[in-house]
Amino acid sequence: MPTPVHLPASISARTADTSILACNRLIERGGDALVDASLLRFADPFGMALLGATFHMVQAQGRAISVRGLHHAIAGYLHRMDVFRAVELIDSTPQLNDRRERSDALVELTRLHHRRQVDEAAYRLAVTLIGSIPGVDANAPPDEMTGYTAFDRLVEPIQYALGELLENALTHGRRQGFGDACVWVASQYYRKSGLIRLGVVDNGCGFLATLRNHPDLRRQDHLEAILTALRPRISCNRDLRFGMESVNQGVGLTTVARIAEHAGGRLTIVTGNAIHDTVGRSRALLGGAFWQGVAIGVVCRRDRLPGIRFSELLPPYTGARPQLRFE
Amino acid sequence: MRSHISINRYAHGHLVGARSTAAPLREQVEEALAGGGEMVFDFSKVEATQSFIDELVGVLILRHGPDVLARLVFKSCSDDVRAIIEFVAADRCDQYIKAHSH
Ligand SMILES: Nc1ncnc2c1ncn2[C@@H]1O[C@H](COP(=O)(O)OP(=O)(O)OP(=O)(O)O)[C@@H](O)[C@H]1O
Ligand SMILES: [Mg+2]
Repeated sequence: MPTPVHLPASISARTADTSILACNRLIERGGDALVDASLLRFADPFGMALLGATFHMVQAQGRAISVRGLHHAIAGYLHRMDVFRAVELIDSTPQLNDRRERSDALVELTRLHHRRQVDEAAYRLAVTLIGSIPGVDANAPPDEMTGYTAFDRLVEPIQYALGELLENALTHGRRQGFGDACVWVASQYYRKSGLIRLGVVDNGCGFLATLRNHPDLRRQDHLEAILTALRPRISCNRDLRFGMESVNQGVGLTTVARIAEHAGGRLTIVTGNAIHDTVGRSRALLGGAFWQGVAIGVVCRRDRLPGIRFSELLPPYTGARPQLRFE
Repeated sequence: MRSHISINRYAHGHLVGARSTAAPLREQVEEALAGGGEMVFDFSKVEATQSFIDELVGVLILRHGPDVLARLVFKSCSDDVRAIIEFVAADRCDQYIKAHSH
């Protein structure tokens, strides 16, 4: 019988340290994995994406996973989120009632491994999330002036944010010898608070590996790499180089942070041993926790999304404005 | 000669998003431009991400220089798309000029 790894009471962005520590133990321990989930009561999309990534990596090592003691209050929910694919549940049958009773809108955990899936997935996930919010009608008539429906106005900022984060994970995350990296994404609307939460987690090389040689990186540590990546026009790939097909502008992540901010929310970013919250918290993870890759939690207020205009998210710029031909 | 591209056709919902969607489109544009003439991008009924616009227009500027802009026409842009095109063009022209001034 393997020694169990205990999951904490909450697996979430707010409890990133203990959540990641449990994941570290699961990944590092040899042999089949036994998870004791008897304390677990809450998981947010960040936590679910983290668990999904961890279970996948354990299984990829050829190790079986069993989960015991899962409380019925959360079993149906995690099951519906598809967190327990190919995982054996001991003494816990997710009850159908549990699933139906949840009024909050969930979009099940999804794993992507091809860059070409990004556009379609970002759109589908955003539509599914917004479409499951009670009272939001996908078929309401469009505004006569703009041609957009209230539904479109909610979908677009989420689609934008997901697209940028997924594309970052499947391009930058795969640099430095991490060509097999994948990305996991989960999302949920919380009816009582009116909040939308997204979790986007990859198991790639992490920010520091891509920005190690960047002249603007002042210290070679994970926290500094996050803060540097968040600045506009900072990219590991901003210059067109001979023989290199791709180029980036260094603006995507900044824009996602601005979307969250304009919608009354924030990003929580974890990579390596560091955590940064775009409203202030910024430190090393406690207890020696370490995430190989990038794990991002986004939270924002649903009622603020329709007011977002993409032009207002752009970084300020000075200097010459080239002549452009608009018709 | 004027070639047209309807950007709307590449949208998911109302948004054109990923760089990987824009890259093949840009290659098409480069072929058309190589034969002389100009390219009209029709943005009716579509919004765009900065990375899509950068992959389409920004990379053209980095490869061919700011003069390429004289041969591009942006049609029926929303205020947001227009602002993003202005930002990307200014940023990449600036980068191109700096890279070629020493
Ligand atoms: N998931 C990730 N894994 C590793 N590094 C990342 C990841 N996401 C972002 N980065 C790093 O942070 C930098 C900034 O990201 P950001 O999205 O702002 O710009 P970009 O992707 O380079 O350019 P653009 O988004 O304009 O295409 C990246 O260039 C890369 O070095
Ligand atoms: Mg990016």
